[in-house]
Amino acid sequence: MQIHAHAVVSGLMLLGTMAMAEQTDIILDVTGQIEDGPAALDREALQSLPPVTIETTTVVTDNVHSFTGFLMRDLLEDLDAQGTHVVATALNDYVVDIPMSDFYDYGVIVAYEMNGVALTRDDKGPLWIVYPRDDHKELQDIRYDYRWVWQLDRLDVR
Amino acid sequence: MKRLLRSFLWLILPSAAVFVFAVLLLLSLYRMFDVQGAMRTDAEQNMLWVLHQSQVAALRLIETVAMAELGEAGPEELALRRDLLIGRFNLLNDGPQRRFIEQIGYGEELDQLAATLAAIAPMIDDFTLGKGAHLREALAPFPAFLGRAANKAMVTEWNELGGRLEDYRTQLNQNILSLIGVMVAGGILAITLVLSLRQSRKHNYMLRREQDFSGLLISSSGEGILAVDRDARCSLWNSAMATMVGAPAEHAVGHRLSEIAGFFDVEPVRQGLANALAGKTSQLTVQPLFSRDHDRPIYVDLRFFPMRHDDAILGAILFMYDASDRHATQQKDAEDRERLEELVAARTRDLDSALKREKSAADLYRSFAAMVSHQFRTPLAVADSALQRLIRRGPRADSNEMTERAARARSAIAGLTRLVDSTLAAARLDAGQIGARREECDLNEIVRIVCNRWRNAAPYRRIETRPTAPGQANVICDSAHVEQVLENLLSNADKYAATQSAISVTLHGDDESMFCDVHNTGATIPPEDRERIFERNYRGANSEGAAGTGLGLFMARSLARMQGGDVTFLPGCEDVTFRLTLLRFLEPQG
Repeated sequence: MQIHAHAVVSGLMLLGTMAMAEQTDIILDVTGQIEDGPAALDREALQSLPPVTIETTTVVTDNVHSFTGFLMRDLLEDLDAQGTHVVATALNDYVVDIPMSDFYDYGVIVAYEMNGVALTRDDKGPLWIVYPRDDHKELQDIRYDYRWVWQLDRLDVR
Repeated sequence: MKRLLRSFLWLILPSAAVFVFAVLLLLSLYRMFDVQGAMRTDAEQNMLWVLHQSQVAALRLIETVAMAELGEAGPEELALRRDLLIGRFNLLNDGPQRRFIEQIGYGEELDQLAATLAAIAPMIDDFTLGKGAHLREALAPFPAFLGRAANKAMVTEWNELGGRLEDYRTQLNQNILSLIGVMVAGGILAITLVLSLRQSRKHNYMLRREQDFSGLLISSSGEGILAVDRDARCSLWNSAMATMVGAPAEHAVGHRLSEIAGFFDVEPVRQGLANALAGKTSQLTVQPLFSRDHDRPIYVDLRFFPMRHDDAILGAILFMYDASDRHATQQKDAEDRERLEELVAARTRDLDSALKREKSAADLYRSFAAMVSHQFRTPLAVADSALQRLIRRGPRADSNEMTERAARARSAIAGLTRLVDSTLAAARLDAGQIGARREECDLNEIVRIVCNRWRNAAPYRRIETRPTAPGQANVICDSAHVEQVLENLLSNADKYAATQSAISVTLHGDDESMFCDVHNTGATIPPEDRERIFERNYRGANSEGAAGTGLGLFMARSLARMQGGDVTFLPGCEDVTFRLTLLRFLEPQG
C-alpha cells in the first residue's frame, strides 16, 4: 500500500510538473501543509486515484444521482497532508472550511462524473465535493450541505 | 355518608389528575413531534444566496467583458466567467431551484434569459473588441433580473419563515399550556401523594404502636405464649416460653414444635394442638415439662385456642402457665396427708400392741395365777399333809416314819422351789437379764452329760442317745443354755411319754446346722396347739393332770433363739419330736 501510494504521489508530482510546463488542464491546486507542496493536478492525475462511485440525492437536484470520483482522504494521504481542516475554494471564490475528520468519518468524494457523464465547468464541474448524504442521517443537515463545494478549484490544508 | 363521600373524593381527585396528566402529556408530545418534524435541518432552501451568487456571476461576466474591451482580460478569463454564469443558470434550472423560481413567477423570464445566454455564449469564444458593447447590452438584463428575483426570494422566504415561526410559536404556546396543565395535575398528584403519605405514616405509626404494645404485652407476659401456623410451625415464641422450655425464640420460630422440644410431641399436648387447629379450645393442667437446663421438671398448665381470621383458622395459640408452685403445694399436701395417715397408723399400731400387751399381760397374769393356784398348791398341799400327819402322829411316830414324811414334805418344797426358779428364770429372760455366750461346743458331749444326769434322776425311764461321729457335732452356743434347753425338752418328753417307753435323742446335721431331735412316743400334739405350745404359760390340751408351769418350751425356744438356733415341733410324725437346731461351728477359712 505504501509503495503504491508513493508510486501515485510520484505520478502526481511528475504529471504536476508536466502540467505546470504546459500550463493547461490544471483543475485542482492543493496548497498548505502537504509534502512537496503546492501541487497542481490535472484531470488525468486525479483520475489515477482509485475511483469510487456513490449514489445519493443532493439538495440542489431532484432524484438520486450516481457520482464517480476519488476519496478526498485518498488524495490527502497521497499528498501526505497534515492538518485539522481543509479550506476549499470554488472557481467563483466560494470558500468553506471543512474539518479533516469529515473525510475519515464519511466516504467524502471529489466527483468528476455524474451519472456517467463528466462534470463540466459550466455545470458544477469540473470537480464537486459530494458527501454520501443518503448513507448517513446526520449528513442530511444544512451544516453539511454548505460543504458540497462545486466548481472546486483549490484546497488549502491547514 | 360524609366519610364515604370524602374517601370517594380522595379517589376521584387523583384519578382525574392522573388522567389529565396523561392526556396533556400525550398532547404535548404529539405537538413536539410535529415541531420536530417541521424543523428538519435538511430541507432548507437558500434561494437568496443562490440568486445573489448568480447575480455576482452575471456582474463579473459583464465586468470581464468590459476589461477585455480595455485589453485587461484574456479569452480564458472570459470563458471562465461565461462558464460560471452558465453554471449558475443550470443550477437555477435544477429541480428545487426551478420550482422556487416558478413559485415566485419568474420561470418564463428565466427561460428567456437562459436562451439569451445560450445565444451569446459562442460570441465569447471568439471575442473581438467590436462585440463588447453588444455583449454588455445583451447581458444587462441579467443582474437586474437576478436582483429582482433575489428581492422576491427574500420576501418569499421571510414570509415562509415568518409563517413557520408563527406555527412554531403557536405550537410551543400550546405546549406551554399543556405543560402548565401537566404541572397543575402533577401538583395535585404530589399534594395527594404527600397527604396520603402523611395519612399512611400516621396509620403506620398507630399500627406500629399497636404492634409494639401487643409485642410488649406478649413479651412481658409471665405466661408462655406461642403461636403456630396451620402446619404446626411456630410463628411466635415469647420470652417466658423461652425460659420455660429452655429454647430461645430464634431456635423456635419457623420450626415445628416437635423439633423444638419433646414436650410438644407427647400425646395430650399434640391432641390439644390438633384440637385448636380444628377450632376447639382445650386445656391441660399440671403437665410435667422437662427443659434442657434443668434436671427436675416444671409443671405447667396449658390452654389451647384456635387463631381465627374471619371464618378461617390461621393457626393456634398456646398459653403455658408455670404451675410448679401449685404442684409443689399439692404434692406437699399429699405428703403431709400420707405422713399423717402413717402417723395415725403407727399410733394405732402402738395402741393395738399396747392393748395386746396389756391383754397378754392380763392373760399372763391369769394363766400365771391359774398355774400358781394349781401347781403351787399341789406341792404345798403335799407338804402340808405330810407335816399334818407328822404332828398328828406326834410321839407315836417312829424315826423312819418321821424321816419318810419329812422327806416327802421336803420333796414337795423342792418341787415348789424349782417352780419358783423356772418362773424367775422366765422373768429374767423377759427382763433381758439373760445373755448368751457364743463359743465352740461339742454337742455330743452336752447331750451325753444331760442324758446321764437325767438317767440318774429318773432311773425308771429309758433314754437312748444316738450321737454323731466324734468331732462332727461342733456348734456355736452357750453350753449352759443348751443344757437347760435339753433338760426342758427331756422333761417334757418324760412327762408325756407313755409309761415304759423310751426317749430317744438323735444328733444329725447338714452343712450349716446341727439338729438334736428329742423323740417320745405318745399322743401327738393337735395341729391347732403346735405353735401355741411355745407361748408363755400355755399348756396344751393333753397337759391336763401333768405338773408344769407352761414355761418349759417357751424357755427352750427363747434360749435357742438367743444363740442363733431354734426349737421346733416336727410335724408329720406319729409320735412327738422336738428339734433343737444350732449353727455349726465352722473353722475360719485359711
